[in-house]
Amino acid sequence: MVDFTNIDLDQLFGFSDDSNPLLMLVWILPIIIFIFYGQRIQLQVTSGEIKKGIKKLDAYRTEARTELIEYIKKNMNPKKDPTKKIDRFLDYFTIMPVDMDPNGIVDKIRHTVRAREDYSRNHVKSISPEINEIELSKIITLLEIATSLHMIYKIINHMYLTAKKQNNYPLILPLQMILPFIMEEAEAITKAIPAFKLGQPVGDGIGPMVVGKMMLDTKKETVAFQTVLSETEYDERKLFLLKAEGPGSTVGRPGDAVDALVAKSKPDIIIMVDAALKMEGEDSAITAQGFGAAIGGIGTERFQIEDIATKNNIPIFAIVIKQSIKDAITLMTKDIANQAENVRSQVYEMIHENTTPGQSVLLIGVGNTIGVPQ
Amino acid sequence: MFSKEKIIIAYTTEKCKSCNLERKRNFKEGDYLFAEGSKCNSCDGAMQIEKIFGEPIEQ
Repeated sequence: MVDFTNIDLDQLFGFSDDSNPLLMLVWILPIIIFIFYGQRIQLQVTSGEIKKGIKKLDAYRTEARTELIEYIKKNMNPKKDPTKKIDRFLDYFTIMPVDMDPNGIVDKIRHTVRAREDYSRNHVKSISPEINEIELSKIITLLEIATSLHMIYKIINHMYLTAKKQNNYPLILPLQMILPFIMEEAEAITKAIPAFKLGQPVGDGIGPMVVGKMMLDTKKETVAFQTVLSETEYDERKLFLLKAEGPGSTVGRPGDAVDALVAKSKPDIIIMVDAALKMEGEDSAITAQGFGAAIGGIGTERFQIEDIATKNNIPIFAIVIKQSIKDAITLMTKDIANQAENVRSQVYEMIHENTTPGQSVLLIGVGNTIGVPQ
Repeated sequence: MFSKEKIIIAYTTEKCKSCNLERKRNFKEGDYLFAEGSKCNSCDGAMQIEKIFGEPIEQ
């Protein structure tokens, strides 16, 4: 009989003897496995996490598509089922101009992007020709949300499947690194849907909100596509107030508007009020002042405004209201809404400090003007 | 892991043009900034929508 109470572990595993083959195997086997299959094991572990992310992205894009189709059916009363048309829109792509010769590329990008915007607008309108401009702008934005989420899902899924197909761990590394940022953005985009459906102001609308209130009781004129301008006076200075035409969902075309205004009446300074992305660690809804054109997007509007300001020697001042990407595209938070009055007083202060009586100021409220009229 | 899910409730703040009285209520579909609101309870003046914002409630 074996006496299990009297086993000498040192003797069994040979801890006192370096030449024990069993102990050597325990150490060497995992090393050999990791040398030959290490990357595959890492690939399996990483791909589990990525798969979860992709599943979420798939749910986001499905939700956006369903919400869009339901919204169109409810608010546009289309004669035919719009599902097929919407599905075709979701797969539309934009080929950006060749940048080997960057000369004139901004005009080319502007042309391509505007052609796409015009096409989308006309074709969405064709679903129900009697739709009003505000509803149309909401549907265009919901379509952009659905298209963005659809694209994000397709690209991430493509990167993941390529890495899996090739059994290539280094290929999955960049995906693993960017996925948290992509997920954050995709979640924010998905959460933006209710605000646009209900016509509620979003965080990005703080610029138009500041300027929109100053435009009340003034005579408004359309100076560029979906962009309005009005004139008022403040402390012996002439104020030109500019914003996208609300309360629809649009950012307007401030570049074209500045071009048209400067050709007619050159302002002495330009002040731009916009939402800006906050840095990690910064509080949301804090304000900051600076110089230069405060406007986001793909860069064509900024280029145009900077170009006009430079040619006409007009200084540009900026006031930004910092916020996260989620705050910027979802229902405006209380903290951001509470900053409107403070920013307005900063604008007046800035006008005082940088102009003299008799001069003129162009004040631009930059951002999406959903829920913000003038 | 155990963080509570936050639900955002939309509110509309109206301000009386005459006596500056502010009133907060739940957002109604069709509300937009600077639109004419209801009559002021204090002075019967016209109220204007001043802010529309979301506030989180923890569940």
